[in-house]
Amino acid sequence: MSSVLCPEIPSPGFSFENCHRNAMLEAKGLAMPKAQKTGTTIVGIIYKDGVILGADTRATEDTTVADKNCEKIHYLAPNMYCCGAGTAADTEMTTQMVASQLELHRLYTNRVARVATAKQILKQYLFRYQGYIGAALVLGGVDSTGPHLYSIHPHGSTDKLPYCTMGSGSLAAIAVFESRWKENMDEAEGIQLVRDAIAAGIFNDLGSGSNVDVCIIRKGSVDYKRTYDEANKKGEKQNSYKYAKGTTAVLTTKVVDIEEVAVRSIDLERMDTA
Amino acid sequence: MSILAYNGGAMVAMKGENCVSIAADRRFGIQAQTLATNFEKIFEMGPHLYVGLPGLATDTQTVMEKLRFRKNLYELKENRPMAPKVFSAMLSHMLYEKRFGPFFVEPVVAGLEPKTYEPFICNMDLIGCINQPKDFVVGGTASAQLYGMCEALWEPNLGPDELFETTSQALINAFDRDAISGWGATVYIIEKDKITIKNLKTRMD
Amino acid sequence: MSLIELCGMESFTAPKIDRNFEDDISKFCGNFSCNMELGVPPFSNPMQLNQFSKDESGRDIKIQFDHGTTTLGFMYQGGVVLSVDSRATGGQFIGSQTMKKIVEINDFLLGTLAGGAADCVYWDRVLAKQCRMYELRNRERISVAAASKLMSNMVYNYKGMGLSIGMMLAGWDKRGPQLYYIDSEGTRTPGKVFSVGSGSIYAFGVLDSGYRWDLTDEEAYDLGRRAIYHATHRDAYSGGIVRVYHMKQTGWIHIDNNDCTDLYYKYQEEKEAIENRV
Repeated sequence: MSSVLCPEIPSPGFSFENCHRNAMLEAKGLAMPKAQKTGTTIVGIIYKDGVILGADTRATEDTTVADKNCEKIHYLAPNMYCCGAGTAADTEMTTQMVASQLELHRLYTNRVARVATAKQILKQYLFRYQGYIGAALVLGGVDSTGPHLYSIHPHGSTDKLPYCTMGSGSLAAIAVFESRWKENMDEAEGIQLVRDAIAAGIFNDLGSGSNVDVCIIRKGSVDYKRTYDEANKKGEKQNSYKYAKGTTAVLTTKVVDIEEVAVRSIDLERMDTA
Repeated sequence: MSILAYNGGAMVAMKGENCVSIAADRRFGIQAQTLATNFEKIFEMGPHLYVGLPGLATDTQTVMEKLRFRKNLYELKENRPMAPKVFSAMLSHMLYEKRFGPFFVEPVVAGLEPKTYEPFICNMDLIGCINQPKDFVVGGTASAQLYGMCEALWEPNLGPDELFETTSQALINAFDRDAISGWGATVYIIEKDKITIKNLKTRMD
Repeated sequence: MSLIELCGMESFTAPKIDRNFEDDISKFCGNFSCNMELGVPPFSNPMQLNQFSKDESGRDIKIQFDHGTTTLGFMYQGGVVLSVDSRATGGQFIGSQTMKKIVEINDFLLGTLAGGAADCVYWDRVLAKQCRMYELRNRERISVAAASKLMSNMVYNYKGMGLSIGMMLAGWDKRGPQLYYIDSEGTRTPGKVFSVGSGSIYAFGVLDSGYRWDLTDEEAYDLGRRAIYHATHRDAYSGGIVRVYHMKQTGWIHIDNNDCTDLYYKYQEEKEAIENRV
């Protein structure tokens, strides 16, 4: 329904209409603001019955901690989850879009979507944008062909691995896996390993922090443990710093009452066709 | 200097017991020069829904108009008010559409969910990454100072009066340490049956 | 046999290790013994210092020292009035709202600070010392002309190396009241009306419209106060307290300090009262 009167309905995909102006502003010497980054430790392993994903929960904006408890393990399909690192908005939006595509795919084929399908959609999408979409992902899931774990880089390359890590804390986390991962671990052992890997990221990487989220994907069941481990307990406030009522000097006050609006239906009036 | 700091401005929203607050300063300036001290950055988007758009002033107004347009279309089509959660998702997608040529705003949304009147707050970065904590959100040029003030002052289950005092003092004391925000402040306290809008007496330098 | 000898580097002058404490002071704290000398980087051309204001990717390195200010001074029939704000900012962050931007050099000499806070404070202190030395040597107070020339010559040695000073010097000497403007570019000029700093354009607006030679003392104080206040209102980097000083024949006196917030609501009331009368 796009017309001159209603030009707002956007065409699909990205819009570049501000780019010219922004380039001009940047040329004038005004620095581009930084987007929110995850600054992350994300990991995944394959164990006896499936896949375990793990993530920390800190989001940063430059050196500020913007979110102390954000969700980095994203839903893709009932049998698939995906950890995201990099530009926070990119990981969020990319996984949302792929989740909707997978749901449509599932309805169309009437089958549980395969992890390889999700991997292919993601890598083709990221490759198309040549790394400008800054999403580094760890994709894990279980389908009819068994458990699968992929790491997907922002430029679109993928690895299929039994254990992998991504994000700024990936070195700390991979060190834990390299020393302790083995084939056919049981679930408790696997969860403990993932927790330890994330904790290594949280404590040794400044970009990662707060809590440990864990997601266990088995054949036919998923166990998403949000805040599996609170690695950093915040100290109890010793005192209340509340200001007394009336501290703030007020110039004007306006109170707007809100009434419950009753919905009134109007009978259809026939169009005058005479 | 960043584009987000070209016009200056500070914003904060907090959750309370069955109420939310959203507050902003009133300065409109161009870098060091203060041009007006009655500039609104918080906009009513519904009886229980407010959005604050700190950042580049031209984008504050453009984004507000685009939002209002889309929200009105939604309400005409759906015949029901837009919930804060839906509104935030819409705004987030609107900003992400311009991923490679963004609007220079860091939105803050505050409101009560329809029917349940559950408090809702969230903020986003300039490309629409939603951040939805349980306590408070901040935005604008004094955000570092606001984070500090809010971490110290906020506590759970604040009533409307306490929430007003906490929000106001967090904002005032934060922007008094920021050269390019201040010059008056507006605080909105959103409750189930009423909205209280207060203009604060602050430093004017 | 030391490593140097092993390497065949006998001719290389090794750094002297057994330097005594006195040497340390003169080596590392040169300005203890001669405070007119700053440590200059070891380049053949110290002007290269400016290259260090950018990092490898060409972005400005964040040395944002205190900068924004509004200061003013003017002469009238009763002497000289100096008025200043009190805000110190580093970038957009307000570091202090109570900075003292008027330096009391001696009973008959006042200096104002604008520009880099550290530069101003340091060189004003050196100037104060030089003025005192002059007094002790010559058994009379230094003239304002001479003091301002001392200052100007001192900072001129560092021209182009990044010093940032814009000061006014007010005093009363044998030749009567005096007002000078000095800056780090080497300018030194006497004058009747000056305003310096990021808010000076706003201050000048008020100052020029209200300035007359035959102002009374009270009128002059109010003019200085208003000019600074209006600058603090419009300029983001000025604010805090408005300080007013008066240089008289008997020496300087401090008139008063006023918080900008109080002034705003006071002037607002006055304005409303006038509007209501009309």
